Amino acid sequence: MTELVIAGAIGVLAGSGVWLLLRPRTFQVAIGIAMLSYAVNLFIFAMGRLRIGAAPIIAPGKVADAAAFADPLPQALVLTAIVIGFATTALLLVVLLAARGFSGTDHVDGREPEQ
Amino acid sequence: MTFAENLVILPIVLPLVAGAITLVLDEGRMALKAAISVGAALLLVATAVVLVRLAGESFATVYRLGGWPAPFGIVLVVDRVAAILILLTAVLGVAALVFSLARWQRAGPRFHSLVQFLLMGVNGAFLTGDLFNLFVFFEVLLAASYGLALHGSGGVRVGASLHYIVVNLAASLLFLIGASLIYGATGTLNMADLALRWHVAAAPDRALFEAGAAILGVAFLVKAGMWPLCFWLPGAYSAASAPAAALFAVLTKVGVYAVLRTGLLFAGSAEAAPSTGTPWLAYGGMATIAFGALGVLASQDMGRLASYSVLVSSGTLLAAIAIGSTPLTGAALYYLVVSTLALSALFLLVELVERGRGPGADLLAVTAEAFGAGEGEGEEVEVGTAIPAATALLGLSFAACAIMLAGLPPLAGFVGKFAMLNALLETDPVPAASWMLLALLIGSGMATIIAMARAGVRRFWASSDGRVPRVRAIELAPIVLLLGLCVTLTVGAGRLIGYLDEGARALHAPGGYVDRVLAR
Amino acid sequence: MISGTTALIVLLALPFGGSIAAMLLPANARNAEAWLAGSIALATLLVTLGCYDAVAQGQVLRVAAAWLPAGELDFTLRMDGYAWMFAVVVTGIGFLIVLYARYYMSAQDPVPRFYSFLLAFMGSMLGVVLSGNLIVLVFFWELTSIASFLLIGYWHHNPAARDGARMALVVTSAGGLCLLGGVLIIGHIVGSYDLDRVLAARHAIVASQLYRPALVLVLLGALTKSAQFPFHFWLPHAMSAPTPVSAYLHSAAMVKLGVFLMARLWPVLAGTDEWIAIVGTAGLVTFVFGAYVAIFQQDLKGLLAYSTISHLGLITLLLGLNSTLACVAAIFHMLNHATFKASLFMAAGIIDHQTGTRDIRRLSGLFKFMPITATLAMVAAAAMAGVPLLNGFLSKEMFFAEALHVEGPVPWADRALPYVATVAAMFSVTYSLRFIHGVFFGPDPVGLPRTPKEPPPAVRFPIELLVLVCVVVGVFPANTVGPMLRVAVGSVLGADTPTYSLAVWHGLTLPLLMSILALAGGTVLFLALRPHFARGVDGEPFLPPIDGRRVFDAVLVALSWRWARALVRLLGTRRLQPQLRWIVVLAIAAAFWPSYRLGIELGTPGTTPFDMALAIAWSVGAACALGAAWQAKFHRLAALILAGGAGLVTCVTFAWFSAPDLALTQLAVEVVTTVLLLLGLRWLPKRVPYRWTWAGARAALPGRTRDLAIAVSAGGGLAALAYAAMTRPLPDTVSKFFVERAYTEGGGTNVVNVILVDFRGFDTLGEITVLAAVAVAAYSLLRRFRPARESIEPPPQQQAQSDSIAADDARVPGVLMRGLFAPIIVFAMYLLFRGHDLPGGGFAAGIVFAIGIILQYMAGGTRWAEERLVLRPVRLMGIGIGLAAATGAGAWLFAHPFLTSHVVHVFVPLIGDVHLPSAFLFDIGVFFLVVGATSLLLIAIAHQSLRARRAEREDQ
Repeated sequence: MTELVIAGAIGVLAGSGVWLLLRPRTFQVAIGIAMLSYAVNLFIFAMGRLRIGAAPIIAPGKVADAAAFADPLPQALVLTAIVIGFATTALLLVVLLAARGFSGTDHVDGREPEQ
Repeated sequence: MTFAENLVILPIVLPLVAGAITLVLDEGRMALKAAISVGAALLLVATAVVLVRLAGESFATVYRLGGWPAPFGIVLVVDRVAAILILLTAVLGVAALVFSLARWQRAGPRFHSLVQFLLMGVNGAFLTGDLFNLFVFFEVLLAASYGLALHGSGGVRVGASLHYIVVNLAASLLFLIGASLIYGATGTLNMADLALRWHVAAAPDRALFEAGAAILGVAFLVKAGMWPLCFWLPGAYSAASAPAAALFAVLTKVGVYAVLRTGLLFAGSAEAAPSTGTPWLAYGGMATIAFGALGVLASQDMGRLASYSVLVSSGTLLAAIAIGSTPLTGAALYYLVVSTLALSALFLLVELVERGRGPGADLLAVTAEAFGAGEGEGEEVEVGTAIPAATALLGLSFAACAIMLAGLPPLAGFVGKFAMLNALLETDPVPAASWMLLALLIGSGMATIIAMARAGVRRFWASSDGRVPRVRAIELAPIVLLLGLCVTLTVGAGRLIGYLDEGARALHAPGGYVDRVLAR
Repeated sequence: MISGTTALIVLLALPFGGSIAAMLLPANARNAEAWLAGSIALATLLVTLGCYDAVAQGQVLRVAAAWLPAGELDFTLRMDGYAWMFAVVVTGIGFLIVLYARYYMSAQDPVPRFYSFLLAFMGSMLGVVLSGNLIVLVFFWELTSIASFLLIGYWHHNPAARDGARMALVVTSAGGLCLLGGVLIIGHIVGSYDLDRVLAARHAIVASQLYRPALVLVLLGALTKSAQFPFHFWLPHAMSAPTPVSAYLHSAAMVKLGVFLMARLWPVLAGTDEWIAIVGTAGLVTFVFGAYVAIFQQDLKGLLAYSTISHLGLITLLLGLNSTLACVAAIFHMLNHATFKASLFMAAGIIDHQTGTRDIRRLSGLFKFMPITATLAMVAAAAMAGVPLLNGFLSKEMFFAEALHVEGPVPWADRALPYVATVAAMFSVTYSLRFIHGVFFGPDPVGLPRTPKEPPPAVRFPIELLVLVCVVVGVFPANTVGPMLRVAVGSVLGADTPTYSLAVWHGLTLPLLMSILALAGGTVLFLALRPHFARGVDGEPFLPPIDGRRVFDAVLVALSWRWARALVRLLGTRRLQPQLRWIVVLAIAAAFWPSYRLGIELGTPGTTPFDMALAIAWSVGAACALGAAWQAKFHRLAALILAGGAGLVTCVTFAWFSAPDLALTQLAVEVVTTVLLLLGLRWLPKRVPYRWTWAGARAALPGRTRDLAIAVSAGGGLAALAYAAMTRPLPDTVSKFFVERAYTEGGGTNVVNVILVDFRGFDTLGEITVLAAVAVAAYSLLRRFRPARESIEPPPQQQAQSDSIAADDARVPGVLMRGLFAPIIVFAMYLLFRGHDLPGGGFAAGIVFAIGIILQYMAGGTRWAEERLVLRPVRLMGIGIGLAAATGAGAWLFAHPFLTSHVVHVFVPLIGDVHLPSAFLFDIGVFFLVVGATSLLLIAIAHQSLRARRAEREDQ
């Protein structure tokens, strides 16, 4: 049943992320990317299916039984994804600051749309 | 673990280490850094040459990282196609680095590290046999390319880079979704293993897999620059500094390569291929050719002209791949190599030609500013004296680029186009799509002639000011090198195409690849 | 006598080699250049003549080399009689042209370029005529276009030359590409591009349903090259080239390629109604039109250009008449035209050179100043007009004879042809008369730039020679040109070569009558038109004043400028939002299609029980997400906090579902990202509070709805995919392997960490490289970041205080934060060391360490912090990567692949036996890098406040 909750969570995060991604202001886009990466991290994680109380920390010494633990690979992938997401978000922030500095506006196209 | 086998990973480790060293050295030691960087690139070329020979002898060499067996550990696979592409990348790297020695390396700190990381990423993407690892290397090359796109700063660049970065971030997220979905459906990330597993999966899992593959495809096509996912490209490439743009010429090809590799791996090994994408790919590629050709016609300054030519080239490749008979693939790969060389040369050339006029002027201003006003760089630029017959050489090189890209004789562009067209007409009856592609190839050639003739005449003949652009031999050398390679490849077309035909055959029959990787 | 094959190779190699050599000679070496070019041309001529015996015996010289694999394309050279004849023309006239050019080019012209291009052109011409493979033919065909472009544009300071060159290039090379297409189709039909096999495959070609496209494309190539109507317009503008070039390329050699090709492929392509329709019509129209227009030209070269067009039209017409005799006449006329037209061009050049003008209106009465030149020109012109006892007469007679009994598809056209032919011949008489009379007779010239006199005899030699040929051929055709023609015709028509007689006198025949009519009529017409000429007005009467060039330019501009621009604007965009929209929409579609096709079914609800707490947590999280989406435009801070909230709930979820590592890392990253964004917020412009208006809302509504729809479907789609995957049993994954070997072979109990640093350590290596690259990029960008004017002066809150904490209200937290430094560092170390066995690891540790550093910056301000702790982030990153890479490469020492992990057991007092996997070293590398990169990013942004101040000061 919790699958439904998590799926919903992914959906909401992704939806609001996409919405922000399509907005005209750089800061909106940055937040949008952040939201999307939450959604994607959860999504990757969910691909290993959900387990409670089965952290992949095995007892030393003997060969562990895989069935007893949550799938560790997606977790590793998420970790990598988190790092890269962090890095790129930071860069995006810096670039949007610089763009703002050069163009004087925070519109993604560097100039205010003419109404 | 023989030495030769360890060579397989060198194209990744070598730039990584060079990049690390250039990071450790502080910014004063420009000469030393340049030496290390260029040296590493030259070593890379040597390694690539050996790899090309290696791949020519053995079908495919597999490198198991950490000694873990596939499909559990990450594997690198070098076959003919990968080897040639790595050689191409290495050559571009050398050219761009040598070119940058004149001025660009000083236009911002840590230029060399970024270039090295870019090379590492590209090589990794060509070599890896693991889906998620492919993602990682895409990120490496993208991260480095962000840095290079911003290199030299300036309003135009930053604006263009912002678009470039946002678009590619979105694409990377798609990549993650696709890759993880595929894992969730099949339980593996190793490409060879996937090729075996996906089509034995039950229909629902298979639906998930194909959805994942499709999303992955979109991510690849953004990087390959297929219409309508390519609008970021002209801006970013034409705004980038010359050496960066020269390297970027190969980035779209990485996307194309990913499509080719994964597409054929998944499609080729299944009786029922996930071929729903193929016709779309063909038409998308053709649309890209048309769009690129229009852009070429419509662009005033040479930078945009070159950028749109990139689109034409990758559109051609995508369409050829999608229509994809084996000989066509071989020809397309040849075209990939030569067109990339020509584009790279053109990007370097444009900067020299436009130097001190229009966009060039603000480039100068920007760089001068980058070095901080009055750090002696201003004079340095002045010292960049006119070498004798510079204009003639530039004009000649420009003509060569134009001839290459238009696919006119006598250079390799013609051979590549002919080889593709010939392969297109080998089937009987010739399908409509092939006729369409034939028409588009010829039409885009005409567009290129018109635009290039206009630009070249305006710049080299009509420029009444007798001012010879200030060019240094070290800047001309890489251009001459790249175009010289084009000439060599015209004469030696037979050998290269033969080599790549073999590679294409291997790609189209991935059974061997799978067996090698999984050591079955 | 050299063998045939070597002869072919030499013929091709000599000119191109010479071209390169000529390019390398110094700019002022006029004589050396002339000698070089002349000797090369002469040598090729002799070699060609040397091949006569072989060719005359009807044998075909061949040499072939494989170019592309699998017989796709061989580089084949092939010389038969026809090719030989053309080779003689190309090399022979080429030689004379070089002699002529030596005198013609002035001292200040950069001759190396000229001779180099000229020789390259000669080589390409030989390549075309000698090619034994259609692709090779196209190859050299395009080369001639390029060479002619360079030669026309030789005087590129002159705009007319530039435009002429460009036009010629665009028209002819576009035609060449069409030709390529046609040739490819022919190759597809025949199954080979080899000329011999193509020539043998007439039936296959004509029968194929691809015959029409192939024919049209090939003819497009031929007609553009030979300047046939409606593609004729480029030729007159090519006349701005130096006269030797005009004489060579645009009368004798290059423009003949079109007709050369049509005759070459005559046996396979001709004879069909399509052929007659296209070739015949084009030829006829061009023949008449060109002749008519030529009459009214004021420029000598213009007149000759149009007469060239007209004569090429005549040849085309002959080829289109669908009779072997006409084909013979065509080939014969190619020869004759080359001789007399080349000499006329050279004469025109001499006149131009000696008088300084080419305008017929200004020239007159030159006969008494340069009698010899005048005589030569007159003879050549007479040949052009088709006066008996000159070679032009013979081929024209043949033409008349053919025109009388032609059987085409359209009867009335056949009946009309003789009359039209006579009229056109009349015109050619008229313009020949105009040329002669206008230039050489009449009163003495007045106001010429130079006083005319005879040129040095050396330069007249080429003309004399050619005119001599005209006369000799004209008088004794049978035993001069006869054998040559026989060989050429024989190799084209082969078995069905007709019997023809090359005699001056065939008795009182109808053709003779027609010739006489034409001569008389032409003279009358000329006399009738003299008053018109006297008025010296431009343009032709009875013709719409259409300037082909202007049309061409207009079309080109419209095509390549307006339309292309409009289309690019229509099909593309430079704005970001549409691009992202495309990407998202395409991704949705791409994911939807297979799910729809194969039917994606949501599996059974999973094992995990529904949990209220989680549901509540996520309802909060969702609220945060939506709130952030809502607020991000006007209340950035709020949005930031809300997004943070969503992030926290994500962390909780990770912890919940047994992923402690993720929870930990996500949390740490969360903190750092938020701090970064907070630091950044300050530089964004103030948002003017949004004033809600009906108009604004209505204007924005459609776009917003569309985006909302996209967002909803994206979210829904991803949720559906996630649900479908989660509710389905996990296939047997590779993870089994990892869990089982994590301790026994990976030497760690925290499987995730072991995967990161061992099983998939390579990913991590790449990942830290990403971090490094990004940090460097950001750092180098920020070094030169100049904030916008209005955001430079510090915000009111900050204006109160200096950089270091002065205000009391901030002192307590300041002290606290400083105090926190040590524990945080310790915690970081703890995470690092336990990482391999328990949640933690290099990355989390690095981030935490970085947090410690930020706190110092926040507490003490940039200056304070940097006075106290010195760290060199960039260097740190380098070391980190180096360490990781070194660990990986260490495995090489043990002859293991990169990144193979080793476990060493070391005895540490008090703790005891510790097993230390090499992967741990790797993790330390990661740690260093993360600390370096993160702090670099933070410091770079934190520094802005300082730089901004500095920038401001510099501005004042």
